[in-house]
Amino acid sequence: MNKNTIPVGPFHPLLEEAEYFNLVVDGETVVDIDIDIGWMHRGHEFISEQKTFTQSIYLVERICGICSTSHPLACVHAIEDVDNTEIPLRARYIRTLIGELERIHSHLLWLGLAGHFIGYDTLWMWSWKYREPVLQMFELISGNRNHYNMLRVGGVSRDVDPEKIPGLTDVLDMLDKKLIMIAKAANDDPVLRSRLKGVGVLTHKDALDYCAVGPTSRASGVPADVRKSEDIDAYSLVDFDVIVLENGDVYDKLIVRVLEMLESTKICRQCLEKLKKVKGPILNNVKNISAGEGIGRYEAPRGEVFHYVRTDGTNRPIRHKVRAPSYVNIPTYAASCVGLPIADVLITTASVDPCYCCTERSLKVVNKNKQPYQIDLLKLSREKTERIRRETYGG
Amino acid sequence: MDKTKEFIEAMGDKIYKKIEKKGRLYFEVDNENLHTVVEYLFHKMGCRLSTATAMEMYHGIEVLYHFSHDESGQYFCPRMVMTDLKNPKMKSITPIIKGAEWIEREMCEFWGIEFEGHPRPERLLSREHPQQLDKPLRFRRNS
Repeated sequence: MNKNTIPVGPFHPLLEEAEYFNLVVDGETVVDIDIDIGWMHRGHEFISEQKTFTQSIYLVERICGICSTSHPLACVHAIEDVDNTEIPLRARYIRTLIGELERIHSHLLWLGLAGHFIGYDTLWMWSWKYREPVLQMFELISGNRNHYNMLRVGGVSRDVDPEKIPGLTDVLDMLDKKLIMIAKAANDDPVLRSRLKGVGVLTHKDALDYCAVGPTSRASGVPADVRKSEDIDAYSLVDFDVIVLENGDVYDKLIVRVLEMLESTKICRQCLEKLKKVKGPILNNVKNISAGEGIGRYEAPRGEVFHYVRTDGTNRPIRHKVRAPSYVNIPTYAASCVGLPIADVLITTASVDPCYCCTERSLKVVNKNKQPYQIDLLKLSREKTERIRRETYGG
Repeated sequence: MDKTKEFIEAMGDKIYKKIEKKGRLYFEVDNENLHTVVEYLFHKMGCRLSTATAMEMYHGIEVLYHFSHDESGQYFCPRMVMTDLKNPKMKSITPIIKGAEWIEREMCEFWGIEFEGHPRPERLLSREHPQQLDKPLRFRRNS
């Protein structure tokens, strides 16, 4: 057996962010994969512990550029969990609405990227075309297309204007038609089926062993969904189904996401209907957070996002732990990529919808003087060139 | 039977300092009983490891696990406390739960905890860092 290694990354045309995979191959077949993370030093957990609770919400909103509601939602759930803070009903519906709109735009973004990765650019252009109205809905509700800044401990910061609800419902109607069109296209397309069916299978057992979450685990027959298992926001007050499929391949992960978008439009429509009737405050004024600990979870588009907060009665957390869904989904590559031809690896890695900046939210390197390490990249590069020159030509 | 009661009865005196709060059970466990507790939670009850969090507290380094029982929505949170700050050691649960590999490697990197029996005790986030880093990265005492 003649084994070779193929490096993918840390900078690669099909990886939007820096990440490094070392594929060990025997001919065309991948026999092992080494995942090397840590290319982005962000220090969110450390910085959050220096900030007040309100500032932390702004900070965690910036952990991810796509799920910029999921992290703050889990964060406010954790802070509210310390004191069992009551959330006004109207605020619960607004939170649910924003969370589900985010799921639609995140899944459409992924669908477009997945189409592009396999050379199906029509799917890419369709998906991103229909993602645009969702971003416009966000702009209409919050004033921003991303980083909506809607959340506060005890509720939400902005109300949904009742005059805008008919316009928002019209966009949802249009989206429903287009999503059904995409679902049918994905289901009927023989090229898509033959390219993705049976590729990158994550078995039910592996999904459980690696503690996978979100569409990655639901495509492998694990029905875990925080929206059903925990009473968060208004999810217990709306009707929706958890989409679970059995095969665990890339095709099933695609179908799970497409069907989830249809469930999300269903939830959004119910929330908008309720917002016409439910009146009242949107923010419960929270003055103090007592000493204790709280956990907050939310079903982000990629799976369960988990925040843990330990407090000491002051206005900032003494420990803030963030566990993003990609952090538990990326290790599943060791199970799903081994045995595949090299050409299938990239779509398999993309199928968990990895978010590397979420995964690497924690590291901030400081030296003894409490200063960040300063690295002279030019000096390092010259040293490396000189070392290679010596090794090649001697001297 | 309620999952929490079932678990408490099965574990007996292996767990102590039990606190129930909103469908969650927080308890402390000793290093020698950690594998028994984790095996029961993961294999027998079908819980999923959400995450584990290490913290530097006054009394030592604390590791808090969060196991989610997705069917019932209940949470089981074993807590391990290590008072030996110079050489914190505990058993690795990665041989039981593959999903704990990265979590334990990160805790080792940040807090200097040695996980005995970990199949791959390497740095997770700073493996390719061009400089020799001080270890552990986030441990404040004695640094």
